[in-house]
Amino acid sequence: MSFLELYSLLLALVVGIVATILGLYGFVRVMGSARGEPGKDVPASSGVLSRDPVWGRYHARYYGYALLFLAFDMEMAFMYPWAVVYKEVGLVALYDMGVFLAILFLGLLYGWSQGALRRQ
Amino acid sequence: MTVAIVLLALLGSAWLLAVIEGWMATGRLSPAAPLFRGLAHLGRESIVPRSPDRVFFEAAPVLLLVVAVLGMAVLPLAPDLIIADLGTGALFVNAALAYVLVAVIMAGWGPDGAYGMIGGWRFLGQLIAYSMLIVMPITAVAMRAESLVNTAIVGSQAGLWNIVYQPLGFVLFYIAAMALAFRAPFDLPSAEGELGGGVDAEYTGVRLAVLRLARLTLVVTLASATTVFYLGGWHGPLLPPWAWSLIKTLAVAVSMLLVGHYLPRIREADLMRWCWVLGIPLALLNIIIVGLLILVVP
Amino acid sequence: MTSDHPINTTGSRQRQTRFAALQKWVSRAFARDLSCLIVPGQDVALAHGLNVSATGMRVGASPRDANVLLIVGGLSEKMGEVAAVLYAQMPRPRTIIVLGGTTPSSLPGADVSAGLSQEALADAVGRLKRALAEGAFATSAEDFDASVLHVKIEYVCPMHPEVVEDEPGSCPKCGMDLVAREAGESAPDHDHEHHHDEHQHDHEHQHHGHEHEHEHEHCHDHEDQSHHDHKHHSEHEHSGHDHSGHEHGGHDHGGHDHGASGFMSMIEVTKDLPRSADGLQMDWLEVPFGPVFPGLPGGLKLTLTLDGDGVTEGQATSLVGVTSEGENIEESEEMDAETFIGYLSAAIPLAPVSYRLLVCLAIEQAAGLEDDSANAGARTGALERERIASHLGWLAQLGRQLGFAWLTQRAATLQLQVREANRDSLAALEPALHKLTIRLGRTPLLKSRLKGVGLLPTDSFGLRGPVARAADEGGDAWARLWQRLAEISASLDLIKSGGEPELPVLRDVGDVSGTGEATVDTPRGEARLSLKLERGHVKSYELDTACSQHIGLVPKLVEGQELGDALLAVGSLDLSPWEVTS
Repeated sequence: MSFLELYSLLLALVVGIVATILGLYGFVRVMGSARGEPGKDVPASSGVLSRDPVWGRYHARYYGYALLFLAFDMEMAFMYPWAVVYKEVGLVALYDMGVFLAILFLGLLYGWSQGALRRQ
Repeated sequence: MTVAIVLLALLGSAWLLAVIEGWMATGRLSPAAPLFRGLAHLGRESIVPRSPDRVFFEAAPVLLLVVAVLGMAVLPLAPDLIIADLGTGALFVNAALAYVLVAVIMAGWGPDGAYGMIGGWRFLGQLIAYSMLIVMPITAVAMRAESLVNTAIVGSQAGLWNIVYQPLGFVLFYIAAMALAFRAPFDLPSAEGELGGGVDAEYTGVRLAVLRLARLTLVVTLASATTVFYLGGWHGPLLPPWAWSLIKTLAVAVSMLLVGHYLPRIREADLMRWCWVLGIPLALLNIIIVGLLILVVP
Repeated sequence: MTSDHPINTTGSRQRQTRFAALQKWVSRAFARDLSCLIVPGQDVALAHGLNVSATGMRVGASPRDANVLLIVGGLSEKMGEVAAVLYAQMPRPRTIIVLGGTTPSSLPGADVSAGLSQEALADAVGRLKRALAEGAFATSAEDFDASVLHVKIEYVCPMHPEVVEDEPGSCPKCGMDLVAREAGESAPDHDHEHHHDEHQHDHEHQHHGHEHEHEHEHCHDHEDQSHHDHKHHSEHEHSGHDHSGHEHGGHDHGGHDHGASGFMSMIEVTKDLPRSADGLQMDWLEVPFGPVFPGLPGGLKLTLTLDGDGVTEGQATSLVGVTSEGENIEESEEMDAETFIGYLSAAIPLAPVSYRLLVCLAIEQAAGLEDDSANAGARTGALERERIASHLGWLAQLGRQLGFAWLTQRAATLQLQVREANRDSLAALEPALHKLTIRLGRTPLLKSRLKGVGLLPTDSFGLRGPVARAADEGGDAWARLWQRLAEISASLDLIKSGGEPELPVLRDVGDVSGTGEATVDTPRGEARLSLKLERGHVKSYELDTACSQHIGLVPKLVEGQELGDALLAVGSLDLSPWEVTS
């Protein structure tokens, strides 16, 4: 199968699943929708009715890790094609990528020493 | 035709996992229980919380199910039993599974409830921890197979399975797969004892049925990925190839459930620290070892 | 036979004939898939000897996941309101089983009522299944309404907090417009309208931006409107601090001014908030980990202020505490000795035998009876047996908090077996208990999870029981775990050397008068009771329990901890909210 055919098949699969689920929703709706009663739509918080919204500026404590993650994610984008041609190219490929990995690894070590790798 | 068979296999495996999950929880083996449970969920009310982010709230379970099925669609059950044998199959698995994060954060943020929101953001931390541990072992596997095509990856294990060739990669991938599926001991987003249900908590009725189905199929997809990448896919004596694939996939999935049953939940700070301080250097070491092995061993 | 009330069902049956067959199957599915939410908590159910999962019901974690509200024992007024809130949040069809008490007044009638025993529970579940299979759908249904679900709106003057009116208007003192305090039913709708407007607004802008930006904008506009309400709330808070008990929570913002509505960066939104430990200003949420939370003792209301997933402050109160003293009890309300024993042991379901023993000892001392050497062995045996059961129950809750499914199951099974075991059965259970200890020691991630969690400050006073005994070795959750496991072995040894465990029975005292005092080492620490008898009736009493002291440790314990660690720390204290005296 050609490239386009494969992806259209996958797209058709996605559309099919979404359609099935929507059909299921519709079928359930026919059986009767949820009855609106006082207090029912408040998010459950263990027996206490708290209607206050919670959306806000969330204190994510892993931002140190997140910055390093960006660097490594870019590295992985380069490693996929490298992995495919690795055996063909031989030892030189190992050296090239080894240097790249070593530089990033040094970055990881630096981040670790500066206290990036902990719960902030 | 292949589509129907693969989807049926996926559903059947999810059902089997649900039965085993029920067995571990109650000690009784009841095959009909998941079906009744699904039907009961359909019959119940589907409550929408007050002032939700409607798009997020509705999209999360659907997206999770779509992701799980897409991941399965590129993994082979047998040489000719694969929905879409993409040229970049291994990469596509990773790309599809990246959307699990989006789905979980949407599920947490949508209902505007405290427990769910914290669960969703915690999952982002978990992703930062496990993501590299999924990608780097896949790279090492692709190095041995010289291709990202999933059927070629299985083909490259005809003589020796990858679990023997790169055991370090297998361990890391297995742990990261459990973290991706947010199953115990990595079930921070949907923790019962810490967040009263977390991201799962605000879904009821048909949406909960879709969410639970999605979580089970996600485990099956990840088990199938482990089988394809490390356990030699369909290779095995006597039985037909698809039978071996299914057996191995189910074995891995059940082992994930068992590990979760017997371990306490891991703290998020600990998970991130161990993955970054220990896991990533080990994954890099794995790549280098595999690189050397490929060049040295003919 | 079965209940008198129809099961609260999924709305009306519109297409009756067409989907009759489907409804039959769905009703059967409802009967097969029962999930219960236990009020006040799973620890109370285990303490009463109820094995819920053996009846075929799952134990649910939140009301959304449950379709049976299982009420164990009688509920106080406040817990009745909590039950009403939980019931309101359950999806239909939903049912109520009441065991060993009356249905709280805030709930509709129980669908099944039964006594407080395992057989009664199994029977009740069977009846419920039949009722569900036959009639989970009805042609008409009523809304469930309770006063606790509506919060009264009051109008207050921002400058004069003492001016409270029921109608909007202006303040008689300064003439300012009164603003609504405490969002009732209309205020969220008010917010809804604004949200809808802002959603439209957002979607127009969003076409160019990325998802990240969209989230931001969405948040900002939402924040905008909620700030509108909360600004007035916070001004009121800062001046008065009298919340008078409604669940306010939300954002504690200083009065910042937000000019025209529109784009506000997150930095502006959180401009005047207190800084977290790493110097960032973030939104803090007040989240209840309230009376019915999986893993925490049922009836303990824990309110934590969360900064992300770290706790900045916490507070614990008990909704089910026993009254600590009765002074000069009226003639009509006086209890005679037996009634008083029944009253106190019923009020403390997690340790009834210990408190029974406590009252017996106090009354016997008041009556001037000599120490009872004949029954001492039996009484000690019963006390130690309860200690083992109590610690096993605590282990089950710890397992639930840790997400450690095996521990929860194993500890619960053992607790149910130990509860009413005689001396020989206990000796037979000893290897199983020993194996539990060994397995716990060998569990890989447990030590790193518990070590260093819940460290008590060095200047804590008033510690008793296992918490005090473990404080020497470090005073963290790990030490307390091992202390309780050691106490289980010690209790087993005591039972082996003592007599057959038997429930403490009051010796005949007659119509005596006098004062008596007794101390008993309950599973959670020492409890002291002093009482005054008059002609065989209890005239006044004073009760001092360990948990009343321990509950004061909670704020210090959770401050600055991560959420999971904070909850574990509170759990490791083994607080029994029933013993927290009010």
